[in-house]
Amino acid sequence: MKLFYACSASTCVVLILLLLLYPVILSFIRSKSPKFEIYYHSVIALGLSFYISMMLLLLSLILPINMTVTILPWTNTDVFDMDISLQFDLYSVMFMPVALYVTWQILEFAYTYMHADPQINRFFKYLLIFMTAMIIFVTANNLLQLFIGWEIMGIMSFLLIGWWHGRADANIAALQAMIYNRVGDIGLIYAMAWFAIIHNSWDIQHIFQLPQNEKINLPLIALIIAATGKSAQFSLHPWLPSAMEGPTPVSALLHSSTMVVAGIFLLVRMNPLMEFNPTILTICLCLGALTTFFSALCALTQNDIKKIVAFSTSSQLGLMMVAIGLNQPDLAFLHICTHAFFKALLFLCSGSFIHSLNGEQDIRKMGGMLYLMPITSSCFTLSILSLMGVPFMTGFFSKDTILEAMSASYVNIWAITLTLMATSFTAVYSLRLIFFVLMGRPRTKPVSTMNEHDPYAIKPLVRLAVASIITGCLLVHYMVPPKMPVITMPPILKLAALIVSLIGFVIALGLAFMANKQLKPKPPSGPHHFSNMLGFFPTIIHRFIPKIILTMAQKIASKMIDQTWLKKTGPKAASNINKPLATTTSNVQRGMIKPYITLFLLTLTIAGILVYFTIF
Amino acid sequence: MSPYTLTIMIFGIGLGTTITLMSSHWLLAWMGLEINTLAMLPLMSQHNHPRAVQATTKYFLTQATAAAMLLFASTTNAWITGEWAIQQMTSLIPLTMITMPLTLKIGLAPMHSWLPEVLQGLDLNTGLIMSTWQKLAPFALLLQIQANNPTLLITLGLLSTLVGGWGGMNQTQLRKILAYSSIAHLGWMMLILPFSPSLTLITFITYIIMTCSTFMIFEINKATNINMLATSWAKAPTLTSLTPLVLLSLGGLPPLTGFMPKWLILQELTKQELTTTATFVAMTALLSLYFYLRLSYAMTLTMAPNNLPGTIPWRLQFKSFSMPLATTTMASITLLPIMPAMSTLLKL
Repeated sequence: MKLFYACSASTCVVLILLLLLYPVILSFIRSKSPKFEIYYHSVIALGLSFYISMMLLLLSLILPINMTVTILPWTNTDVFDMDISLQFDLYSVMFMPVALYVTWQILEFAYTYMHADPQINRFFKYLLIFMTAMIIFVTANNLLQLFIGWEIMGIMSFLLIGWWHGRADANIAALQAMIYNRVGDIGLIYAMAWFAIIHNSWDIQHIFQLPQNEKINLPLIALIIAATGKSAQFSLHPWLPSAMEGPTPVSALLHSSTMVVAGIFLLVRMNPLMEFNPTILTICLCLGALTTFFSALCALTQNDIKKIVAFSTSSQLGLMMVAIGLNQPDLAFLHICTHAFFKALLFLCSGSFIHSLNGEQDIRKMGGMLYLMPITSSCFTLSILSLMGVPFMTGFFSKDTILEAMSASYVNIWAITLTLMATSFTAVYSLRLIFFVLMGRPRTKPVSTMNEHDPYAIKPLVRLAVASIITGCLLVHYMVPPKMPVITMPPILKLAALIVSLIGFVIALGLAFMANKQLKPKPPSGPHHFSNMLGFFPTIIHRFIPKIILTMAQKIASKMIDQTWLKKTGPKAASNINKPLATTTSNVQRGMIKPYITLFLLTLTIAGILVYFTIF
Repeated sequence: MSPYTLTIMIFGIGLGTTITLMSSHWLLAWMGLEINTLAMLPLMSQHNHPRAVQATTKYFLTQATAAAMLLFASTTNAWITGEWAIQQMTSLIPLTMITMPLTLKIGLAPMHSWLPEVLQGLDLNTGLIMSTWQKLAPFALLLQIQANNPTLLITLGLLSTLVGGWGGMNQTQLRKILAYSSIAHLGWMMLILPFSPSLTLITFITYIIMTCSTFMIFEINKATNINMLATSWAKAPTLTSLTPLVLLSLGGLPPLTGFMPKWLILQELTKQELTTTATFVAMTALLSLYFYLRLSYAMTLTMAPNNLPGTIPWRLQFKSFSMPLATTTMASITLLPIMPAMSTLLKL
């Protein structure tokens, strides 16, 4: 039975990888392919892969076996073995269909969004390579495979953010993503080096089984740094909002549902190492709480629709990190899966709005979309409700569980407070999105080209909307029960998440209706600027610190060492000292005979006197 | 000047120096110096233009002063010790009094100031005689004086190397630069004279070789200032490429001939536990090196623009007699390997 499972599972994964790579390989073989050929192939490939991964999921539901399959040895030396091996457990088996489903919808949608792009074939190839990397990452059973998937994802993210590389902003954003991700990569590489040196193994199952001691904190912190970089946690977060310079399908796929959760996924995978380590868990908790609060705070006053959604993503990633910090990896994973659906939907709807408005991203110039694009607006509202955690939508099952687990535990009260505030902020910016984009009167340009006739644009939205309603229920049903026993709690604690959301919603509604009343003619101040300028974080990190370094370089390296020590006291001093002396020497020569004789007699006299008094 | 007169004068120059070299008696030595000076004067003023005449006058006056002082000092010496012999000088005051006019004659700082101006008034051939042959007689006398005062000579030597460096830096006139170069080299010789006269001799010989070569190169190029050097690539390309080596040899860079005396002198000074002096004098060589490099730069390292007819003189044959030039140039570049032979042969 086990053998059957192992064979079929690895066959499924290999098939999925082959299917995903088939359009890419096809484009290498055929030098010139028709314009949308890759697109059709990739949508079919993704659809088929999704069904195959569903088969795998169903199989694993019938035979709930966690197993690793070693396909073939890679490099075997006397001291260090490395095999290509796959891991089939709840996480990999469940994440694959989710990711493939979301990707499938996004790719289908991308046809509408990108159809005018001359390099559209390459765009889909990038997305497919990315998806392949994601599958490799998720199913990896050793750190090297994991790292390969991780790195390919990073490079694809770089290439796709900089897709419109004619624009300077896009290039800067791509570089920013690359640089922040490199910081995270250093963490992962450090952890790998540590495990290779100390545990002499990169096999994840081996690493879990080896004895643990105090020193394990080092690689764990390195792993947290890796997750911080990839999942845009606080202090390495600025790249995620900047990454919105890429095309919207890219934002929907990489920067909301799949790639950015890789960091959290890494920590979920490595959870057995940190299970009994309060230090690491506390770090994760505080980091997550800070991220979720800060990002929600920044989202409050943004005007770019994609920026708001990006900050919301960052906030949700923080929530996942909180779940890790609560030692509830299953909940974090559940939130990864549910978040993928509604956030992808939210992005696709935003993309649809942006596309219909000829690239307008400012929510102040939208409005009244409810009447112009009813289907998209409905899907948009659905995804936002799911994001807010309205009961029995997809988001509810994971978000509410995390918040409940948090309220029920007696960890850091400050982290809990921050997370609850972030939850109410979610309601605030969600309402703001709905209020500005959907309600009111249109503030768009008079000539409107928008329509909802294109089935390629609408079908994915509807499919994802359905998923945003039902998948939470399904997923939570099939997840293993949480590790914590069910405890009783007062209703106020049980309903805490809902209550804070509701409070946020009501306050935001009140504020929204005050917006055009001009109660206060004063321009927005302090807190608004803090939120609007992203907490001044990019200003400090991207401008102030480089400025200090450059100034120091100028003062110490250039001015002090080069100009003062090496120039002023060296060659310049030599010339400054010798120049006047050379002039003096020349000035003796004035063509007069008198000085010749005088100098001679003078020297003679002085020499004579000196000789007389010293010798005799 | 008629060839007969010229012959007689050149003969007189030779005779004067020879008499001085042969003499062991101060009076005869003085006579030789006087003959030499008097024969030199018409040669200097043979072109009859005011600058040459002015230079001749300056030369005559300084040499006459030196000769008078020399006569006075040797007489005083004879009066005090009753001794005319050059090598028997014992009394210190006459010794100092005799050293000074001799250093005036070869142009050591601070009695150097006549040399650049006199040399500037002469044509290059006469200048060559002035800065080589004319140094021979006083130099021989200085070598023969046994009980020299080291402090005095070191002071004069260091002063000369410094003044030679500083003076040359500020010059664009080639003859003046060569005069300062001569001052600097003679400074090196004076520095080592109290410790190793044979080294002084080696230095002197190499200096003569190198300076002959330089003067002849400038003569061929008809160059009297730095700017005129810039077009020398059109006249004699091979020579132009060799000249920096000769100049750097004057500056004392290895592996050229000019490195040999400086090397030996520094070694000898170190042996005499005069490390500070050695360091100092090595630093002053850098001052001289600066203007040698400047000459090399102007002559070879840059290519000055020229009009079309100006670029062809290298096709013409040299009228001048190039054998001495070839010999001295090769000698001033490649003599370093025979250093052991030279130091053995010239052991006094």
